[in-house]
Amino acid sequence: MRQGFRTSMAWLHAWSGLVVGWILFAVFVTGTASYYRAEISQWMRPELRAVQADPVRSAEHAVAFLKTRMPDAAGWYIELPKPEKPVIGVHWWKSLEGPFHQALLDPETGAPTAARDTKGGDFLYRFHFELGMPPMLGRYLVGACALVMLVALVSGIVTHRRIFADFFTFRRDRSAQRGWLDAHNVTGVLALPFHLMITYTGLVTLAPMYMPWGVQTAYKGDQIRFYVEAGMMPEMAAPLGRPGTLAPVGPIVAAAAARIGEAPEGISIYSPGDARPAVVAIFEEPHGLAHLHPQIAFDGATGAMLGEAGTAKAATVTSAVMVGLHEGHFAGPVLRALFFLCGVMGAATVATGLVLWTVARAPKGAQAAGFGLRLVRVLNIGAVAGMPAAIAGYFLANRLLPLGLADRAQWEVGAFFGFWILLALLGALRPAMRAWPEALGLTGALYLAVPVVSALATGEHALAGTRFLGFDLAMLALGAGLILAARKAARRGASALNSRRIPGMTGEEALRA
Amino acid sequence: MTPVVVLLNLALCFAGFGALALSLDRHHRDALGGRVPAARILPQRLGGWGLILLSLAAAVMLEGWNFGPVQWIGALTGAALLVVALLSYRPSWLRPAALAALPLGGLLLPVVLMG
Repeated sequence: MRQGFRTSMAWLHAWSGLVVGWILFAVFVTGTASYYRAEISQWMRPELRAVQADPVRSAEHAVAFLKTRMPDAAGWYIELPKPEKPVIGVHWWKSLEGPFHQALLDPETGAPTAARDTKGGDFLYRFHFELGMPPMLGRYLVGACALVMLVALVSGIVTHRRIFADFFTFRRDRSAQRGWLDAHNVTGVLALPFHLMITYTGLVTLAPMYMPWGVQTAYKGDQIRFYVEAGMMPEMAAPLGRPGTLAPVGPIVAAAAARIGEAPEGISIYSPGDARPAVVAIFEEPHGLAHLHPQIAFDGATGAMLGEAGTAKAATVTSAVMVGLHEGHFAGPVLRALFFLCGVMGAATVATGLVLWTVARAPKGAQAAGFGLRLVRVLNIGAVAGMPAAIAGYFLANRLLPLGLADRAQWEVGAFFGFWILLALLGALRPAMRAWPEALGLTGALYLAVPVVSALATGEHALAGTRFLGFDLAMLALGAGLILAARKAARRGASALNSRRIPGMTGEEALRA
Repeated sequence: MTPVVVLLNLALCFAGFGALALSLDRHHRDALGGRVPAARILPQRLGGWGLILLSLAAAVMLEGWNFGPVQWIGALTGAALLVVALLSYRPSWLRPAALAALPLGGLLLPVVLMG
């Protein structure tokens, strides 16, 4: 059978998009939320107040704490307090294979913080590329989906015949299928530069993990050597293998701050119990697109400055710019809002594509839907309504779980998955006509409940202070949008029931139209 | 200063996309009724593309070659989405809104240059 190029691309687009769509939607939603990771973390730890923390004293507190936890660690990492995260973060590990331990300390007292136990925005950020799975497995899965996403993007561009003529076209008053196709095209085309950029740079972010063989072969397993030569890390002295004493870290932080002109954002200490530990001060990336942190290495035994990370060459800078573009740390408030909007449009492109797949294949007349179609419908609801519901459930659990609960942070994650499963079950068990409106309506109600529950649980609301006003408004806007979508879906369902006999296009026809 | 430049980009791109959309019969019919007068098609398209390029030039001049294009592309998406939303829900507002965006961009330009 002879087929045109565009027809085969339409087939490729429909099926490649379907296979990875459910995971991609979750990746897009959590990734988009991660543009506001710091704000989400702040909201989830309402006990923390902005304080002017002294970096030198904070570093000393952290080292005192880490010495009691794991004096013979392979490494410690200290995150110094900053305005949007006014706590000291401490991490320690026995081996690079893990497990990695962490705690948050009060910058005033150096004792573990009184703030509630939560993973905050970091959970959504890590879910974005690990899906809550064992990290390596999740990263490989997300990477595979991102590759297929690139295939879907390019085949989608080929399939779309009238990118310019239909650039502004959204016919929501015609057939359901026409409306979904236009919505898919508009959200896909208008943010196409973002979609291509975010998918490609996302792969680049994890490329050294996906393809480690070059570095392994050239450096014979000595990863650190590679990082030093690429200008990503400063040269460090190797540990001596016998016990020793770490020099006071306060003067090291002060010297590093004096050298660069600002306090470091973090301190790495390798082999802290060794006679020659290595201390590296890491600074925030300078204003620019590249995600490259200046670093200074110190001899941990004497406290002497050893040197800075070398100047990164073209390849390192290229990859750092791609990572920087992906994360958008450089973006000010308005540009960040545009990044967020583009992320929402990415999620919408995936969601409308998934729905379009089922609408285009809906049986005509009295024919019953086959198993495949019913399966896709159920999975669509579980992914598209379930993912936002899971995040709302995560936020609600943060406010409702008792503060003294053991493993509290883990329970919040449990709520995330619990709400997701609940919504997916709802989508599977309710009649097809009512599943969408009910799932979207319930999710919307969960978002509307977040500011209310938060106000009741913490006494923080718009009238008492504007600290979380932006977060509350975002929750209300999401809730209102979802309720609106539920009402539309209910009306669509009713009218589809009445007008079933009007012949529509088949799926392939619609994609070619 | 950067937020002001993004707003300037948004205003110029929105006016440009508005002109382009109204040079297409389908959207002209929804927004103003009737086909696009033949004599207006070319000037409107040139003006639309011109404003979009002007927005890129402003972004690059004010923010440099690294941030400028990134902001400009973000503004392109935001402005185009606004045009689509107006065409779908309030088509008759598109022309006045696009015309209003022009002086807004004109007002922001001196603010940006002085800041």
